[in-house]
Formats: sequence, structure tokens, C-alpha cells
Amino acid sequence: MSERTERLLHIFADSFMPLLHAGVAFTVPLTLISFALGLLLATGTALARLSEFRALSELARFYVWIIRGTPLLVQLFIIFYGLPSIGITIDAFPAAVIGFTLSVGAYGSEIIRAAIISIPKGQWEAAFSLGQTRLQALRRIILPQAARVSVPPLSNSFISLVKDTSLAASVTFTELFQKGQQISAAVYEPLLIYCEVALIYLLFCTVLSALQRQLEKYFERYSTV
Amino acid sequence: MNRRWSSLCLASVTAAMLLAGTACGKKGDNTNNTSNDTGAGTTAPSNLLETVKANGEITVGTEGTYAPFTFHGKDGKLTGFDVEIAEEVAKRIGIKAKFIETKWDGMLAGLDAKRFDMVANEVTIRDDRKAKYDFSDPYIVSKSVLIVQKDNTTIKSLADLKGKKSGQSLTSNLADIAKANGAQIVQIEGFNQAIDLLTSGRIDATINDKLSFLDLKKQRPDVPIKVVAETNDASPSGLLFHKGNPELVAAANKALTDMKADGTYLTISKKYFGEDVSK
Repeated sequence: MSERTERLLHIFADSFMPLLHAGVAFTVPLTLISFALGLLLATGTALARLSEFRALSELARFYVWIIRGTPLLVQLFIIFYGLPSIGITIDAFPAAVIGFTLSVGAYGSEIIRAAIISIPKGQWEAAFSLGQTRLQALRRIILPQAARVSVPPLSNSFISLVKDTSLAASVTFTELFQKGQQISAAVYEPLLIYCEVALIYLLFCTVLSALQRQLEKYFERYSTV
Repeated sequence: MNRRWSSLCLASVTAAMLLAGTACGKKGDNTNNTSNDTGAGTTAPSNLLETVKANGEITVGTEGTYAPFTFHGKDGKLTGFDVEIAEEVAKRIGIKAKFIETKWDGMLAGLDAKRFDMVANEVTIRDDRKAKYDFSDPYIVSKSVLIVQKDNTTIKSLADLKGKKSGQSLTSNLADIAKANGAQIVQIEGFNQAIDLLTSGRIDATINDKLSFLDLKKQRPDVPIKVVAETNDASPSGLLFHKGNPELVAAANKALTDMKADGTYLTISKKYFGEDVSK
């Protein structure tokens, strides 16, 4: 084995644990918390969009428009570096969580809205004819079916988010990718370290995809097709 | 019915908001203690120097990805020339340095937002920056070198850059030197990227920091690149502060002067560069 290969293998082995640690300790919690909160926000926003109250649906439309139409990096910057100028200073981790939550909330709301309107009108009518209220119909009949439809696209958002969290490095939060940059700056082997970082992301995403399959199996019970 | 519907969605939105606000725990310890707000019942320190002394620490912005100035060593700890200088300055003021790592594009924004009290990151002292910030006295003077591939025989001096591709980061004064010599600028993010582009033949040259080059050669003697010329540009770097804190800047300057006088500076300089980099 050439000296260079040996050196590369050495660096690879040395940096694997620190990278994995950065991923498990920072990237994963940031992703999970942001996605859980974002999903709540997304559901609320989707229902607001479908609401018959003009003000509510316009407000939701405005929020989705702003978040989807501007770069996530700028949003993070405003939350972290901009708010202090009006006296609101939020730490790096919560600032990142807020930024990613808002993002998931906006993109996810469209997925959920699409899933809700994909359920045939007949389902609503059947529920009403059994004397259920709009809310009961939604909770018992429509949302379970909509959830089933939205698992694949929401998994997409979730898996994208895993990698998007690397933007948090811009607000002083050292997550997996930033850790990789720190290591590559010290050993001058960016390509090797980046590939290693990619491998760890792949590891996380593989686990998440397995979860998605389980979810899909579970929601299969709500299949009406 | 409709009211229920809307209250349901309002409830989930507010739940998300509340959770986002609270689920992240208490305010951590990197909140800014440097803003001008006076806490109720406490007497506000009169200036930033008093404030950092009262806190027992000064927060320092740095990249952590720029060897050998600010980087993570084998043990994963933040170290480097600038880091040690900042630590020593803090020590002489009688406090600790607490580092906050951020990318360069967030560095000045972070100082503006008072996320940290100063920056130690090999920041070149320039007039346009002086207009907005205060610098300490220079603590390092770096020279730049023209780097090309090992087997390149066409570029021997800066003048040979004419019509050639030179990798430069746009915010640095080195881009201007390359432009002045007729080079076509390829935008890069940092030193490592420049070296990668160079070894893969995507650029012909890069004008970059001599000390970074020496450090790279130390870490990777096999990299097929060489230095063919030195620029006569010697750019001094200083610690960077928010404008309007003369007491803190004076204290930092005194610490730097004392360090140079008693040999501490030379020890740090020798450790990283094997020579005195103050001139």
C-alpha cells in the first residue's frame, strides 16, 4: 500500500467517530425537533388554507408565499443576526430550529393540503350523511386517508431536511457538515472528508427510509383503493 | 362548525410556535451580554471593557476552519495562531476567551449583532473595514505568494498571469492583485478549494497566503504545487472590534505590546510558523 493511501485510510478512520458524533448529537436532534414542530405547523397551515374564513386562508397563503419565495439561508440570518437589532437574541440551536420549522411548515402545508383535497368528495358526503360534523369527518374519515397519501412526499421533505440542516453552520451551530469542514481544514483532504460526511448522511437517510416503509405499511389499513 | 375548524388549525399553529419557543430549553450561555440594555436592578457597566471584566469572559468570533490560524487539532479542540493570541490577550486582561465559531460570511454580521465582542480570524486591516469597525494594532503580517502546479513552466511571475485563470476569493485584496495583472478571476470559497482547483487543472494559479501554503506543505508534502513568486503586498491583520469601545481596544493593544516585549508572542509565532510573523 502506498504511503498516500495509508495516510488517507488513517485520516478516514480517525475522523469517523468525531463526524458520527456531530451527526448524532447535533444534526439528528435538529432534524427531528424541527420536523416534528414543522409538521404541526404544516397541518395547521393546510387547514387554514382550506378554511372558509378569508382572513385565515389569506394569512396562511401569505406565510407560505414568504417562506417558499426566499432563501432559507437568509431566513436563518434574519432570525439569528437580524432579530438582535430589535432586542430579541435567540441562541444558535433554537434559532436554527425556528428557521427549519418555518420552512417545513410552509412546504409541508402544501403536501398536506394536496393530500386532503385528494380524498374524494364522496367520502365527505358519506360522513355527513351519517350525521357527522365537519370536524368529525375530518378527524375520523379524511385525515387518516390523507395521512396515508402524504407519507411519501413528507418523507421526501424529511430526508431533504436532514441535509438542509447543514445551513445551520451559518448561525454558529456546528453540525455534521461543519464538523467535516473543520476536519478537512486541518488535514487538507476536503474530498476524502466530504465523501465520509456523505456516507454518514447516507447512513442516517437509510434508517429514515426504513422508517418510511414501516409507516406506509401501517397506513395501508386506511387504503380505500 | 366552522369555528371549530378554524380553532383546530389555530391551535396547531400556536402549539408549534409555543413548542419552538420553549422546547429548545433555556437561553444558553452565548447570549450577548454586550448590548446596551440595563438589567433591572443592576448597575450597567459603563463600557464593554468593564462588561467583559464583569462577565469574566470575552466572546470571540472565529472560523475554526482556517489552518494554521484557527482550526481543530488532532484532539478536536479549537487551536491555532489567532486562537492562542486571543486567549493570551484575554488572559492579560484578566479574563477568559470564549470562542464562537461561525463561517466567514456570518462573521461581520455576528459582530454587528453583538453575538461576540471581538473577532480573531486573520482579518486584514483595511480602510473600508476601518470605516465601520475598530482594529487592534497588527499582530501578524502575512505575505502572499503565487502558487502554480509543480510542472507549470509558463507562469514565473505575477505578470505571467495575463489571460490565465486565477482562483481568488472575492472579498480578499488578493483578487485585486490578480486582476491588476490581467488574470481572469475564478471565485473560490477558501484556501483548500483553491488548491483542489489547482491540482485538478481547473485554474492555472492562485495568489494566496504564504503561511497557509507552508502549513499545507507541512501536512501534505506530496501536493504537486509550487510557489513561483511572492507579492510585495504585506497585509497586517488585527483583532476586530465594534466601533466605539476605545477602552477594550486599548486593553487589547497593551496586551499585544506586552506579549511582544516579554517573548510570549515569539513563542506562539515560532510554534506555528517557526519564525517571527509580526513584521
